[in-house]
Amino acid sequence: MTAGPVTGGRVDRGGVEDLLREFAPQVLAALVRRYGQFHLCEDACQEALLAAALQWPADGLPENPRGWLATVASRRLMDQVRSEQSRRNREDLIAVATPASELLGAPADAEPTDGDDSLALLFGCCHPELSSPSQVALTLRAIGGLSTAQIAAAFGVPEATMAQRISRAKQTIKAAGLDFSLPAGAERAERLSAVLHALYLIFNEGYTATDGDELTVPALSREAIRLTRWLHRLLPADGEVAGLLALMLLTDARRLARTRPDGSLVPLAEQDRARWDQVQIAEGTALISAALPGGEVGPYQLQAAIAAVHDEATTMADTDWPQILALYDLLELAAPNPFTTLNRAVALAMVRGPAAGLAVLATLAADKRMAQHHRLFAVRAHLRELAGDTGAAAADYLQAARRATSVPERRYLAVQAARLEAAQQGGVTGAAAARPGCAARD
Amino acid sequence: MKYLMLIYGNQEKWASIPAEEWPEAIAKQDAFNKKYQATGELIGAYGLADDLKAKLVRRVDGLPAVTDGPYQETKEYIASFYLLDCESEERALQIAADMPWADVEPVEFWPIMHEAKPDL
Repeated sequence: MTAGPVTGGRVDRGGVEDLLREFAPQVLAALVRRYGQFHLCEDACQEALLAAALQWPADGLPENPRGWLATVASRRLMDQVRSEQSRRNREDLIAVATPASELLGAPADAEPTDGDDSLALLFGCCHPELSSPSQVALTLRAIGGLSTAQIAAAFGVPEATMAQRISRAKQTIKAAGLDFSLPAGAERAERLSAVLHALYLIFNEGYTATDGDELTVPALSREAIRLTRWLHRLLPADGEVAGLLALMLLTDARRLARTRPDGSLVPLAEQDRARWDQVQIAEGTALISAALPGGEVGPYQLQAAIAAVHDEATTMADTDWPQILALYDLLELAAPNPFTTLNRAVALAMVRGPAAGLAVLATLAADKRMAQHHRLFAVRAHLRELAGDTGAAAADYLQAARRATSVPERRYLAVQAARLEAAQQGGVTGAAAARPGCAARD
Repeated sequence: MKYLMLIYGNQEKWASIPAEEWPEAIAKQDAFNKKYQATGELIGAYGLADDLKAKLVRRVDGLPAVTDGPYQETKEYIASFYLLDCESEERALQIAADMPWADVEPVEFWPIMHEAKPDL
């Protein structure tokens, strides 16, 4: 089954994995361009990746790894097509009119620039016909080159469940006859926003606070950064792509400081800023600084700009809250959303005092989505504490804790409620209780 | 997001269903299970044994100590449970309402705690 010469250069399993993941979208894009039939090409590509993952660490890298993958994937595709043909006795599949030698002849990497193909592939994976979980799963597999088992592990579902989801998504693509060409004009902008949203979801999933074995449970936030970085290389002029990449980098830079070793949450105000990743902050800040003057400023750029202002402050008190408030004002105009309003209320409280923030929260209670959401209670608790209303703040923290479904978040909120209750019973009010983010220490 | 659905019942209730209606009832539940396993949203559907088979387990001096029970306050006990993984709570509630007997008996619906970090 070996194709192509082997150089004998030994690489470890992790190195091979990185290499394969980089080649995955290129090889798949080349197959889809050549043969169409995304669902079949995708299977064939995965099989080729698997074969390489088994063979390369043992035999060394082939001289032309991408050509090797493309050739093996083409062969697998032919095998599949033939077996499907004989099974269903149908003649409308791809290889019918094409001699097998021609299909196997030219390596799929004959054309050096396949950026557009990979891009078209990404747009196809994030097609609006597909549900968000399907878009995410398909993107991680087709573009990220992750196996179904790895994706399932990252989302904490059985492999069979993820396999079903991916296979349904591919069926949808086939049934709807979705093509993998690049959309143009207004449609392109709309479709790109779906792509960015899927990448944002992957980042936000952010499971695995305790980083496990990267090979079996990949850290989704890092995977999202890798994919968005790749997209930014393909579309360097797009401000929102740059904005999303900057937002991810600037947020991920705080990862180490965000959780204690026991998994509990550390709020921004209490984070050890020395543990923030300055390299990522510098990269994110440079990206957003370059993107902002570029014209129309979208939601990802604004969120990245807010994250950059937070990241450049050496202490919570140093934070340029008026600038953050101004950015939230713009964000609320660009993409109105109750969670943006919630965050803006905090910024407003920092600039004009807790009463102003609480007044904004009162308007949110009318929003059905928000009225029972734990975040509304948590923010109100924080602002009520700042206002010195310890009893009401404790009650709000408790309500927030009861509604949170994230384990670390619920634990954090319960601790806040207990701290305020203890402070109240001890007769401590006013200044001490009003210190923002004052940690519970026994 | 993952969700747990619980169905309660007891022997008396099940005995009241005529034997000839069981095949249809089971077929309905099978169809539901297949439908949502196919979308990848139903992780598993599990029926529990009779409450006579349930046990209480403790550790006493490092060894398992098993007794009969639980003797419950409620007249009905868990008959089956279903594990869902859905895009949104709205979607999961839709699936719960699609359970074969949801028009007769309520389905108990519990969001499952998760380890995901809060969003940005």
